[in-house]
Amino acid sequence: MAEFVSVAIDATLLTLVLALAAFGLAIIFGLVGVINMGHGAMLTLGAYFAWWGVSVLGLPFPLAVLLATLGVALVGLALEHWIIRHFYDRPFDTLLLTWAFFIVSTEVIKLVFGPDFRNIANPMSGAIEFSGLSFPTYRSLVAVISLGVIALTALIIFRTTYGIRIRALVQNREVSSLLGLNVAFTYKAVFCLGSGMAGMAGALIAPMMSIDPYIGNVFLVRSFFVVIVGGIGHLLGGTLLGSFLIGGSETLFALFSDQVVAQTIVFLLAIVVLRFRPQGVLSVK
Amino acid sequence: MSDAKSGKDVLTRRKFLGGLALGAAATALPAPAIIKSASAADPIKVGVISPLTGAWTVYGRAHIAGYELAVKEINEAGGVLGRPIEIIQADSQTEPRIVAEQANRLIRRDRVDFLAGTFSSAERNAAGPIVESANKVLLYPTFYEGQEQEYYPGVCNPNIFMFGPEPTQQVWPHMEYIINTYGGKFFMIGSDYAWPRVTNMVTKQKLAELGGEVVGEEYIPFNTPQYESVLRDIRNSGADVIFHSLTGSDTVNFRQQLAAAGMKDDFVLWTVDDEEVVTSGLGRDVSANDYVSFDYFMSLQTPNNEAFLKKFKAQFGDDALMNTVGVAMYNAAHMSARALEAAGEVSSEALRANLKGMSFSDAPQGAVKMREIDNQLVLPSYLMRVNPNWTSVNDMFTQVQGFESIEPLTARCANLPL
Repeated sequence: MAEFVSVAIDATLLTLVLALAAFGLAIIFGLVGVINMGHGAMLTLGAYFAWWGVSVLGLPFPLAVLLATLGVALVGLALEHWIIRHFYDRPFDTLLLTWAFFIVSTEVIKLVFGPDFRNIANPMSGAIEFSGLSFPTYRSLVAVISLGVIALTALIIFRTTYGIRIRALVQNREVSSLLGLNVAFTYKAVFCLGSGMAGMAGALIAPMMSIDPYIGNVFLVRSFFVVIVGGIGHLLGGTLLGSFLIGGSETLFALFSDQVVAQTIVFLLAIVVLRFRPQGVLSVK
Repeated sequence: MSDAKSGKDVLTRRKFLGGLALGAAATALPAPAIIKSASAADPIKVGVISPLTGAWTVYGRAHIAGYELAVKEINEAGGVLGRPIEIIQADSQTEPRIVAEQANRLIRRDRVDFLAGTFSSAERNAAGPIVESANKVLLYPTFYEGQEQEYYPGVCNPNIFMFGPEPTQQVWPHMEYIINTYGGKFFMIGSDYAWPRVTNMVTKQKLAELGGEVVGEEYIPFNTPQYESVLRDIRNSGADVIFHSLTGSDTVNFRQQLAAAGMKDDFVLWTVDDEEVVTSGLGRDVSANDYVSFDYFMSLQTPNNEAFLKKFKAQFGDDALMNTVGVAMYNAAHMSARALEAAGEVSSEALRANLKGMSFSDAPQGAVKMREIDNQLVLPSYLMRVNPNWTSVNDMFTQVQGFESIEPLTARCANLPL
């Protein structure tokens, strides 16, 4: 029983951290339809902004996370305004453009910060022991934040008038613009939000990982799988379910096999799921 | 570009021929100098392949710096056989495919006299067949898995000389201490490729001899971001020691999360991969009190190392990082220069023959010697503990024990001596 619970905890933590990392992509890819290959770079930028805030400016960690969120949102805004908005009709071009953005920003990071490993001291080290179970403190906090952020965003999209506008746009761009919706502004806002989410995720993940110019990349492919397996546009359930299939389930497989096999099975599973539910687990045709 | 209207830009036949004649005269002039090429002041060219971009960039700087420093010293002392040494630098991009391209380019186009570098075993293995067929020597600097005939021509290759430690030098000498101090139950975690797997295999042999046991063994695919399930396995394994051979950013990710899970107090971690560069990246809290074993550390307090670091810092600044690989490159440069000097000529045959058996008493880690039978360097081996309150590479490690000269097991090659 204790073993079962501890596996469940691990799976939950893995799922929620991955969900956080993938969420920015779920917003941009899911709502605006831009295949954002620059997502990894946005995570990386977030991590570096956080490092810069903590180590150079001497900010407390929560403020550094805020700095990273706003900083990357701003980068996203600039990217959208100068480049992406001219290409909303051409998804393949946005794929290339965002890939170019990834390369450029990775190289800029290398030029500015150098290729060295950097680190942020874990703001809440250690584990909480609770009736024989141990919860790594910081990861648990990140998991809770992840859940909160996703729930809050879902609330905005499904329960507010802004959300109605966004959903209208996703459903039918022409009609919603005919009905007086400011399409350009809404796209811009959503892109900016997605970028900010990626920046925040990068900052929150930073204390658990090595901060190097490629930190975001380990999440890039996984994030795309999360979004596609979960179902494009299903921000809440899709992201969580996708994250469980791509991340959390690995813990279960690792019970019976070694890591290499477990990680392979996960991606195999993703292929099988997509074969039978090409629209994603949560989408109805 | 130039159309018929802009008459003065048009090249007439006369002008063209005139130019041609001038050009021919210009190239004709230095010709005699080219012909007597191999003599006097023409440089000896060394192709140095370092990971300057890509996943292992962090190691690249010390890698190339070690060779550069040695070459500077050699040239200031008058070069080799009266000729200066010239480094032709190449970037491996941390990719074996690129290493093959670069090695070919250095040999064919730049006509280097020999090669030094490559970083990972995969990179060395990519260069193996090329140096074999071109009959060029490769000086290899990295700690690696040892030589097994199976991996020929990446190892067991008469043209490749090993300047870094292999597991029977890096790991075996310190197992007794670790086992006696902390217990013999090892949990092995490493990246999923040849070096960690072979290192663990060799370590297991000795572990069995010493009465220890392996209670868990996990290999992690590259770029794994989260380690929950591995940490649980370790927690449940009853291990005394985590024997660690993850590489690149995975090593940092795993150790960050091990520390964050509050498991550092319950297990002793012994890493055979994390030198100065990686430990700097880990930070103090994550690395405190862990064990590391190598042939060289910046923290070594020996006259050799102090003299070396003084020169190194004068050249590259007080904050520059050095490590086992950079020092191996330094030794490789000096030992190859002495070998050629002793031979009195520059050729692959002369270099091979004279490197064998060569000693180098000024090596930063302490005296080293190139073993004749299998081209493997005999070198010191140190076990270090990470200081809990280190501030920089200069005070990062405390020496736990050290051995002046460790003979490795004889290489498992079919055609010894190499």
